[in-house]
Amino acid sequence: MKPDVDQVMQGFFGTLLMDVAPHLNAEYSMGNVGIMGMMMFMTAEEHDRAAEIRVAENTEMRALFGEAARVVEDASLKARLGEAAGSRDASLRIKALDRANAALGGLLVDLQTHVEASKAPWAGPLEARIWDYLVAATERRKLPFPSLG
Amino acid sequence: MTMDDLAPRIAAYLARKMPQASQIEVSGVSRIHGGASRETFRLSASWSESGKSKTRPLILRRDPVASLIETERDIEYNAYRAFHPTGLPVPEPLYLETDLKWLDRPFFIMEQIEGCSAASPFNAEPYGPLAETLGRQFWTHLGRIAAADPKAIGFDANMGDIAPADCWKHELDKWEKVIDEDELAPQPVARAAIRWLRRNPPPPPPKISVVHGDYRTGNFLFNPEGHIRAILDWEMCHLGDPLEDVAWAADPLWAFQRPDRPGGMIGRAEAFAIWEKESGLKVDPERLRWWEVFNSLKGLAIWISAGKEYQTGANRDPVLAFSSWYCTDVHNRVLAKRLAELSREARQ
Repeated sequence: MKPDVDQVMQGFFGTLLMDVAPHLNAEYSMGNVGIMGMMMFMTAEEHDRAAEIRVAENTEMRALFGEAARVVEDASLKARLGEAAGSRDASLRIKALDRANAALGGLLVDLQTHVEASKAPWAGPLEARIWDYLVAATERRKLPFPSLG
Repeated sequence: MTMDDLAPRIAAYLARKMPQASQIEVSGVSRIHGGASRETFRLSASWSESGKSKTRPLILRRDPVASLIETERDIEYNAYRAFHPTGLPVPEPLYLETDLKWLDRPFFIMEQIEGCSAASPFNAEPYGPLAETLGRQFWTHLGRIAAADPKAIGFDANMGDIAPADCWKHELDKWEKVIDEDELAPQPVARAAIRWLRRNPPPPPPKISVVHGDYRTGNFLFNPEGHIRAILDWEMCHLGDPLEDVAWAADPLWAFQRPDRPGGMIGRAEAFAIWEKESGLKVDPERLRWWEVFNSLKGLAIWISAGKEYQTGANRDPVLAFSSWYCTDVHNRVLAKRLAELSREARQ
């Protein structure tokens, strides 16, 4: 599909800001056009990276769960971690990746809650490992913000 | 309802509230952008009174169908009523109306402050050369809010009592409930923040103060000479620990990429010194840390809620989608880094 989606979104962002907004005389409409333009700018990047980010997160969470399953003693949680570690992304559609991401994210909440309450020797390193993942994941999702001069 | 439909209905309402006036006309009704928690309209009212023609620019704030922040308009209105006589720069509140027959939804009308502008918190230099002079006023006014006696000025009307030791839990319970009800996907960072906040409650404040609840860049009007003329958007105000406002005003989200310069105005050290002098209170580092983590969580709750409003179609204001994307992104990053450090400290 040409022109590329990011080019179209960035082009529309410029058109909205330079050609459309100056001809509006309602303050509310101008504000909305500005926000929609900024979100098109963000969409240009998000469209390109969305699948990669979700696949990376899902892969990293599964690896983390695999490590955790070897040390966590709680049988029920251990089983859930083992099952999640063995799962795979069957589709690269964003909605499918998001569904898997949400399921894995919910399990991450349960694991982190369990680890924080544990005084076992493995708990500290595993807690640090979870935070390493979360810091990297939130940084990876950082949205670009247009410089408006 | 169009702007043209609104004008005669507002005029009819004003005629009821101003029996001494005749020939009331409302013109120039225009919606202001950014009021995602309440629809805000600028308008001009003109009328005859005692043989003289009068005109007054007004602001109308009407409840939306669904909003970024679900709040009661009477709490916001009462905050203006409480602080207006004190000299704090707030618009004069005029009428509060809950009868739906006038404009279909509850609303209130207040004075319009003319010749002023607000600024976007998402601008690297929101105040340009006025940053320092506005920054000093910004922190002075926040100190005055903290120093105010809520009972003496009538701010506490219709608000329950709260003990200093309970205010952290009251706020945390409130915003955790918002996340419980509105999250569209699991929120590992927000949930970790809630657990940390519950494990590490702050010391109680020395007294209960008025908390504005959304005191930040973009929520005040200033004139070209560099004077703050109106502190706005009191819809989340409540009674509590005054450091809640200090932490929110200094939150990294409002500082763009300069967390050392809260709100894009003056440095943290100078800001806090001004606040301490004006409030007569101290910025206790332990309490401030708790309220900083809390405020980033509160932000997440607001943005998560905004995302749900947009996704479900309850409110299609683009600002809800924007805040859900961009502000969630910022607060998740801020909180993840902060909590990772706190986790390391706790394990040492």
